Amino acid sequence: MKIRTRQIVVAAMMIAISALLGITGLGYFPVPNVTTDATIMHLPVIIGAVLEGPVVGLLTGLVFGINAYTRYLGLPFFVDQPAWVPVLVLFVPRVMIGLVASWVYLALRRGNQLFAVGAAAVLGTLTNSVLVLGTAIALGLLPVAAIAASMPQIVFETVLATVLTIGVVAAWKQIDSRRGGSSI
Amino acid sequence: MASEFELLRNVTIGQYIPINSLVHRLDPRAKLLGTILLGMAISATTSLVAQLLLLVLLFAIAKLAGLTIGYVLRGLLPSLRVLIFLFIIQLFFQGWREPSSAIFLEVGWLRVTAYSLWVIVLGILRVIEFFVLVSLLTLTTPATQLMHAIEILLGPLQRIGVPVHEIALMNMIALRFIPTLAEELERIMKAQASRGGRIGRTPWWRPDQLARARIPLIIPLFLTALRRSEDLILAMEARGYVSGARRTRFARLDWQGVDTIALLLMAIVFLLAWRMPWPAINFVSP
Repeated sequence: MKIRTRQIVVAAMMIAISALLGITGLGYFPVPNVTTDATIMHLPVIIGAVLEGPVVGLLTGLVFGINAYTRYLGLPFFVDQPAWVPVLVLFVPRVMIGLVASWVYLALRRGNQLFAVGAAAVLGTLTNSVLVLGTAIALGLLPVAAIAASMPQIVFETVLATVLTIGVVAAWKQIDSRRGGSSI
Repeated sequence: MASEFELLRNVTIGQYIPINSLVHRLDPRAKLLGTILLGMAISATTSLVAQLLLLVLLFAIAKLAGLTIGYVLRGLLPSLRVLIFLFIIQLFFQGWREPSSAIFLEVGWLRVTAYSLWVIVLGILRVIEFFVLVSLLTLTTPATQLMHAIEILLGPLQRIGVPVHEIALMNMIALRFIPTLAEELERIMKAQASRGGRIGRTPWWRPDQLARARIPLIIPLFLTALRRSEDLILAMEARGYVSGARRTRFARLDWQGVDTIALLLMAIVFLLAWRMPWPAINFVSP
């Protein structure tokens, strides 16, 4: 796999932001539900994937996956499970976020740019929620009722991630065309 | 109030504290492998006794590295509120999992059982242990050394086409820029607060208000990071950096006897955690 300098640097910055959102607690929003708090920790993965393609999405997703794995392995669901269960529930969905987001963006970018970015953000976020919840329910870690209980979190995350992704990507592309100078 | 703007004070992950201690002098490869082994030990056992011993071991390593335990744990503070919230929610949820064994308390929706107490205490211990473990690695190892270690250890994967050098470099840039971006974030927060932004004045249980207060922080943070990456890309390319080219290393790593001993000790800890028949304290009343 060949990676350009640009992809390395942008992926690195996205990982740094992801870490910063985690360390400062800015990326977490306490929405009451059974699984975890609502989060926008996957936002750097989506933005990296939209701006620089699937390679950056994959790389940042990998690091985000490792991060999620170490953070949530302590959750009580995993206590009496074999070792591959938390890997499948915590790690694999995170790796998929970036891939899905960049594929969606690449498929739709010929049309309305903002729509393509928004769709990538929505589907990227849903990849995370649906795969995590889906595998957890399929493996019997959570009851099916958890879907209803997680709805506020899923809606909140999707809306917030979409607003932020469109905000960042629109502002960044605009800056690019004006050659410097932000109006934010 | 002032502490709302001092993000760096609590950022311990990704910072290196230069002290001349035994732990600092260890080969970064030994430290990285040792960290992985300890991480496996934490995941391998569900015994509270073993987990407590592992926590004591981690604190002992921190002492040996000349770090105070308070300093290492300080990084947990910003996410403490969320973590406590998370575990209180778990108290309601896990109480209804069967087999519950002894039931200590049952008031409406809340049911405290031996099982729920056990999984929650175990969860809290694991979260703290993982945090201390990762902090210890980055507090005692400079980012460049860590990158060399990752690169050498993943070296064999290069043969099957995995871009090992690029992944190591990416992680190093990320680690290097966490404090810089934290500084930028502080500046953005102060700028927004001086313009009337509600920084640190939103009730933490209102996610909608939190979101509204944080959007004007997060979007500029991304844009600053993207602008900085443009500068860095230009600087790297101007200095002739070519991705995927064969590179030599300026710093050489030197594996010594003490590294082998440290690594063996960590392997023994992992085997003990995994294979020893640890007493299972499940809070079961006689």
